[in-house]
Amino acid sequence: MSIHVLGIRHHGPGSAANVRQFLENLRPDIVLVEGPPEADEILQWADHEDLQPPVAILVYQGDDIKRSVFYPFAEFSPEWQAIRYAKRNNIPVRFMDLPVAHSFALKNEEGPKEETETKEQLPHPMETMALAAGFPDHERWWEHTFEHRRKNEQVFDAILEVMQAMRASDLSRHDREEQLREASMRRIIRQAEKENYKEIAVICGAWHAPALTDMPPQVSDNALLKGLPKVKTECTWTPWSYNRLSYRSGYGAGIHSPGWYEHVWNYPGDDGSRWMANVARLFRENNMDTSVAHVIESVRLAESLAALRGLPKAGLEELNEATVSVLCTGENVMMRLIGEQLIVSNKMGQVPSAIPKPPLQVDIEKYQKKLRLPASADWKDYLLDLRKENDLERSVFLHRLQLLGIEWAQRSEAGGKGTFKEQWRLQWDPAYTIEIIEKGVWGNTVAEAAARFVMAEAEGAASLPKVSQLLSATVPAELPEAVEALIRMLNNLSAASSDVLQLMEVVPPLVSISRYGNVRKTDAAMVTDIATGIITRICISLPNACNSISDDAAQTLLELLYRMNDSVNLLQQPGTTAEWQQMLRMVANGRQTAPVLAGYSTRLLVDGQLLTEEPLVRAFNFAMSQATAPAVAAAWLEGFLKGSGTLLLLDPQLWHVVNNWVATLDEANFNQVLPLLRRTFAHFTHAERRKLGEKVKQDGGEASPLPMETNFEFDANRAAQSLPVVMQLLGYS
Amino acid sequence: MSTILRSHAEQLFAHELEELQKQDSGRRPANWKLTPQSVVTYLVGGILKNGMEITPKYIGSRRLMEISVATLTTDRALLLYGLPGTAKSWVSEHLAAAISGDSTMIIQGTAGTSEEAIRYGWNYARLLSEGPSERALVETPVMRGMKDGKIVRIEELTRIGADVQDTLITILSEKTMPVPELNTEVQAVKGFNVIATANNRDKGVNDLSSALKRRFNTVILPVPDSMDEEIDIVKRRVESFEKVMELPAEKPALEEIRRIVTIFRELRSGVTLDGKTKIKVPSGTLSTAEAISVVNNGLSMAGYFGDGQLKAADLAAGILGAVIKDPVQDKLVWQEYLETVVKPRAEWKDIYRACRDLA
Repeated sequence: MSIHVLGIRHHGPGSAANVRQFLENLRPDIVLVEGPPEADEILQWADHEDLQPPVAILVYQGDDIKRSVFYPFAEFSPEWQAIRYAKRNNIPVRFMDLPVAHSFALKNEEGPKEETETKEQLPHPMETMALAAGFPDHERWWEHTFEHRRKNEQVFDAILEVMQAMRASDLSRHDREEQLREASMRRIIRQAEKENYKEIAVICGAWHAPALTDMPPQVSDNALLKGLPKVKTECTWTPWSYNRLSYRSGYGAGIHSPGWYEHVWNYPGDDGSRWMANVARLFRENNMDTSVAHVIESVRLAESLAALRGLPKAGLEELNEATVSVLCTGENVMMRLIGEQLIVSNKMGQVPSAIPKPPLQVDIEKYQKKLRLPASADWKDYLLDLRKENDLERSVFLHRLQLLGIEWAQRSEAGGKGTFKEQWRLQWDPAYTIEIIEKGVWGNTVAEAAARFVMAEAEGAASLPKVSQLLSATVPAELPEAVEALIRMLNNLSAASSDVLQLMEVVPPLVSISRYGNVRKTDAAMVTDIATGIITRICISLPNACNSISDDAAQTLLELLYRMNDSVNLLQQPGTTAEWQQMLRMVANGRQTAPVLAGYSTRLLVDGQLLTEEPLVRAFNFAMSQATAPAVAAAWLEGFLKGSGTLLLLDPQLWHVVNNWVATLDEANFNQVLPLLRRTFAHFTHAERRKLGEKVKQDGGEASPLPMETNFEFDANRAAQSLPVVMQLLGYS
Repeated sequence: MSTILRSHAEQLFAHELEELQKQDSGRRPANWKLTPQSVVTYLVGGILKNGMEITPKYIGSRRLMEISVATLTTDRALLLYGLPGTAKSWVSEHLAAAISGDSTMIIQGTAGTSEEAIRYGWNYARLLSEGPSERALVETPVMRGMKDGKIVRIEELTRIGADVQDTLITILSEKTMPVPELNTEVQAVKGFNVIATANNRDKGVNDLSSALKRRFNTVILPVPDSMDEEIDIVKRRVESFEKVMELPAEKPALEEIRRIVTIFRELRSGVTLDGKTKIKVPSGTLSTAEAISVVNNGLSMAGYFGDGQLKAADLAAGILGAVIKDPVQDKLVWQEYLETVVKPRAEWKDIYRACRDLA
């Protein structure tokens, strides 16, 4: 009877090949693999033909889905190869580790303290080995020492010895959790011994190998594992993707380059030619001319680089550097493509449909039950009153699902006044299940998944209108974290954008968030800061944007200016308001400004009491002066009177200026401006128009001098003195 | 001290090269003075076994130097590409000095560089009196490099006319230069290779034909990676400049250099150093070399017209000159940067005021 401990690196293709070879030579009668013991029962699926890696075992706490842990497997994972070997040869295979039920319970006891923090601060235990061997980091050291090795006699013995030495020199890492885990592994090994298995193969992370070889007495392990707290857990298989395997998706024990590892796994003897040929094919598919000579040259350069660095074989880094230098003429842009398509690759696994449900589905069903929104194949309409708590929750839930792209609920316009009503139509389609599984990679609860999904989508879109649109969709879904991220992204995009129109569209929703606190947990100050920042940018570039533009563009800008002005007033920040008014002055006085915008800016200045009486009349006369082409003057007037005729009715000076201007137009000019004037006046309310008409009738519609308000004292005595002369002149002497 | 204004790399660092050669133990490619590993050490610096320190010539990524040296060991030529002021010529000079012990095989590419300057010319007096003969041939650095097995440098390759550039194709792929007039050829001796430099910002240059491009491995020299690296470069270069020019001003405070480098880095990368805010990028290159000249300029201003202390006002004009290359677009970019980034920084009040007064 003997125990063989194989220390491996998770997802190491070299380790996987070694494990497979070792097992085939040894022919053990049981295989023990590091992994959650709870998942033993679902190991029955492992040789199902619909189960295609990359897949993951998901273990989660039944009553708190957020507590979950994934154990991913790729084709080239040593653990996966061990499991497949056992299934092929019909021998038992078991997982061994501290049951997740205990580790969750322990973490629950600890409270929300972040356990990752302390771990990150410690340097990796293998760092010292890598440094001693002259490698910049431990990953590369391990890769070149163990993964890329071609001859593998006694490699597991070597690993064991290295780890023994390192564990002996570094006792600080034996924290409680690790002790518990290793004790549990030993317990499962002992159990296998007790069941009279002769050849036991143990596959575990290299670090644990020594602890499983030199076993302490059983009593101490039992004492350690006694009375651990426990929670109820569930587990299932879920499809995984290479993308999620890589570091980029934030999975801690991940690997940088799953696609490259798959290549190494499939073609262990490749000297780089096959890889470079793949790169060349990818380049050709993307319309970049790549010759065979290029491939030859890059393989050569990669080999010289490896020789210069004293490596036996060119690794991914050397191949990448050769690609940049030879194929991409030094530019890194195409490397991103290689990174996505080849190095990470977007391979997706699949699981049989008969497998238990994923947590996101469970969460959705929980909400459907709680909010009494049953999933039925017939459609049903709901009118939600957001003032009621249950309806508000329903609305939030539906908004979140919409963000996730699960089209169960369709929103339609609610009739009647007020913003507290929402009309929804719900119709369930079984195909949504697939959507839910797919979206399950974003999170286990609807809230979490929606937030992450929106953030990822916004990052991918990286365009102002899209992010702004996402923001307004996210606000009613009450995802403060996502809203915050979106706002920050909006800020960055706005800084890089030179399109003032886009910027102006972004401001009003931001201001309303900051004013009305639409998102409870979002830091209002941050939003205000960003809004003022964007307004500053607009103020700098808007005057130029108003110059020399077509009528249609001016109309669009006019609408935006109108909304922007409201927002600035709403914000009530003295500094920003001053900046805005300064900008308005520039637009109003600009020589090249589109007249309708100049007129409207003047009007806004009047509203803000910044332009009154004399200067106002002067400005109006200047704009309306004879030298100005009538069409231009009319456009200016349209901007000036936008939205309200009341100003015209109540200000006699203005009335006369406008009235006189119209009256002095000759027939040709009048015909030319008539449609423009009609357009302006058509916006006024009916009552205003009627009053204006009455006023014109009453005044006779003639050009009349500006009424002068005379207010001096009348001296009767002096007047009387002049009477005789006047009488004489009139012949009444 | 010699009266030569500027010595060649192999003269300046003769001692280091000699020592590296002594310590060298690995296999050298034919006609190389040092092993590839030692060439890399010479460029990026290090400490030899006998404790002697090799000064870093190139401050930046070691990997790039490794790729450059590895390229020269294959039969492809090396093209150093990058913005103006990213030490392309500097690296090429030191590579040639370390590999061949001779950095003087150089052709300066201009729009007027002719084929004769690259292949060979004729001594017309001899040609007339003796007829075509070896003696009447005027060798170019390329031809000499081929005969002696040395590294040849071509500066500003893209400025040379496209038709003239293409004469390099045969030289680089067949490693031979035919001389039809004499019915002979010059075949390159082992150790011959070409290092060309070109910058990717200029307009109106002649892009390499794809046939020629294929003969080069391209290494792009980037602007400095980290803040400290760039400050280090600026400080070293400014100090050496002060010595040469004997400026009356006091040595610049590190703080002042840090601010210049910060402004340059932020505008160049389009994001503030804390990574929180994006910024528009002006059209100029804003290389480290320009940062150096802004500080030098400021020092001169302070020394001759100011009170000898480097102040924000002395630097403002230089910064503006470096940033605003396009009077309309860049001005907006700068204004935005000034208002949204510089203004809120409490300890930058002086520089904000100085720049605003100028604008």
